[in-house]
Amino acid sequence: MRTKLHVLIFITLFFTASLANAAGAKDFALTDYHSSEHLVSLNDFKGKVVYLDFWASWCKPCRTSFPWMNDMQAKYGEQGFEVISINLDQDKSSIAAFLKSYPASFRILLDPQGEVASDYELVGMPSSYLIDKKGNLRKTHTGFFIKNKPEYEKEIIALLAE
Amino acid sequence: MQLSKSKKIGALLATATCTLLNAGAQAQETKSENDWKFDTAILYYGETDRVSLLEGVISATKDFGDQHILNTKLVIDSLTGASATGAVAQPYAQTFSRPSGNGQYTTSPNELPLDDTFRDTRLALSANWTQPIYKDTRVNVGGNVSREYDYLSVGANVSAERDFYNKNTTALFGLSYQFDSIDPVGGRPIPLSTMVVNNGQFGAGDAGEEAFEAAFEQTRIDGSDDKSTVDALFGLTQVINRRMIVQLNYSYSNSSGYLNDPYKLLSLVNENGETQSIVHENRPDSRAKHSVYAQTKYAFDNAVADVSYRFATDDWDIQSHTIDSRLRYNLTETDYIQPHVRYYQQSEADFYRPFLNEGEALPSVASADYRLGEMTAITVGLKYGHKMNNGHEWGVRAEYYQQDPKNAGFESIGVLATQDLYPSVKAFILQFNYNF
Amino acid sequence: MNTRKIQTVKMPNKKANTRLFSALCVITALQLGGCANLGVQPWERDLLAKDEMALNADAVDIGLDEHIYFSKEGTSGGRSFAGGGCGCN
Repeated sequence: MRTKLHVLIFITLFFTASLANAAGAKDFALTDYHSSEHLVSLNDFKGKVVYLDFWASWCKPCRTSFPWMNDMQAKYGEQGFEVISINLDQDKSSIAAFLKSYPASFRILLDPQGEVASDYELVGMPSSYLIDKKGNLRKTHTGFFIKNKPEYEKEIIALLAE
Repeated sequence: MQLSKSKKIGALLATATCTLLNAGAQAQETKSENDWKFDTAILYYGETDRVSLLEGVISATKDFGDQHILNTKLVIDSLTGASATGAVAQPYAQTFSRPSGNGQYTTSPNELPLDDTFRDTRLALSANWTQPIYKDTRVNVGGNVSREYDYLSVGANVSAERDFYNKNTTALFGLSYQFDSIDPVGGRPIPLSTMVVNNGQFGAGDAGEEAFEAAFEQTRIDGSDDKSTVDALFGLTQVINRRMIVQLNYSYSNSSGYLNDPYKLLSLVNENGETQSIVHENRPDSRAKHSVYAQTKYAFDNAVADVSYRFATDDWDIQSHTIDSRLRYNLTETDYIQPHVRYYQQSEADFYRPFLNEGEALPSVASADYRLGEMTAITVGLKYGHKMNNGHEWGVRAEYYQQDPKNAGFESIGVLATQDLYPSVKAFILQFNYNF
Repeated sequence: MNTRKIQTVKMPNKKANTRLFSALCVITALQLGGCANLGVQPWERDLLAKDEMALNADAVDIGLDEHIYFSKEGTSGGRSFAGGGCGCN
């Protein structure tokens, strides 16, 4: 009888833990492109809605996503919204050239070895993840499509309203 | 004649260009990504003492967003010069009738008979549309039309490609259909008919001329004929690692209809290799081809190597091997050179005959066109490219192309032993391209 | 005296085609079977994304060359341009 209870508790705990892990977006600690003084981690932004975007200078759809992300940051920043972009270029010098043509008003973090990209199980470039105020991963987008921009914006508004 | 053709082509070109530019005018976005991108080139191809070609290409591409891409291409080319007809050289002068029947040309002793009536301008237009239709799946549809004096070609193609394994693998299937209509100068020659040459046997003056024309007409079929070609392509592309990608394609092609070259001839020679008459060629009315193509591209730190091999075989018994390699070497951020080497080898068609023997029965299909014979060819070239500050690019390419037809085992009897029946064809290629 | 070819031993077409087909099957099977292990992560396509690594790089040059070889030789075609590149979207 007690063994059965133990097993039941264990299974419940296991599933709860799994669910918690699946829902909670993995934390990271990366260098900021503009200032390499201290590391930036996801936990720093608890309480905010985070749009986590993985990009690289060689990714063509990223050129279309940058102006849109600038717009979103400007529009919803005051309401507690933060765009955090993670760059995956192996060669840091490519970033400067890209930013000249496609400037970014949002945070850029560096992940040249792709460790965080691995953690987030990226299946395509670019990839974006919407994380709610509690730090849970709510939406995953692979690729950036112009026709989906209104939908992406709706999702941000919905999470801000929570 | 030539001038009026040019005027027509000019008008066509202007209309086509206007259409191209107007299509882009509506959707002007501020982002340079979605502007029209143009790749233009002008190419000169010149064989020593033979054919010269001048060709211009304008290719325009526009991304309408989310990988909806339109490409249109305009090609104009102008061919001049003399081509080998397939008739053999002789130690005597030879006279041939022009394909139109209007006039004749003479070949000097010990010279390869070349027909220099080829002055043709071709205009070709093509358009292709690509878009995603499902996750990881894209379709492409296209059409093309091409026009020259004696030739009209229209075609359509459709293909679908799908990515697997995080886009490391891509599979492609494509189908195309091409319809060609040929209306040769002077009508189509009756296959294997004897060429009528006016050596004075028809008498003098207008009556003689008329008699010749009547006899000439007897060997011609009026009107056009056509051919249809269906192609199927299966392709597999695989990313090997961060630096390397490979591709493997299998394609099948089936043509049927009028596959002859109406301007090609065969010499009918006697036991001593002396030409007794000239006969028009005849090819089978169908051709089924298979080809396997493998390509690798490898990215070095400052260079990209591209090596490919193609094996082709068909039911005309032509088998060929092609090895093509390019190495793009970046000299600086903005300049590169690209050496190019290509080797080609083919075996002769089973109906290929360098000449026909008077004593033997006339075969039902025969051609002396060296392009269906045994040969090897080599191309060696170098390209230099430069990217300008405004993002435009220009390049210049120079190549040398030499074809070496070979004797596929036919005995050069009598006087033919004194002639060069398989002369090499040497050509220079010069291309200038500008992308913006 | 005849113009018949000096006897060259050539494989009959059927056999050549069967061999070709078998080789293709083997290569394709290998390709597909080994596919899952080959390749790169989506963020490792920096070199593949370069314009010069695209399968349709120099498309205009290749188109011009194909036209020349189609006119001067007995074989034509075979290429395709799918796959490779950035792998984005």
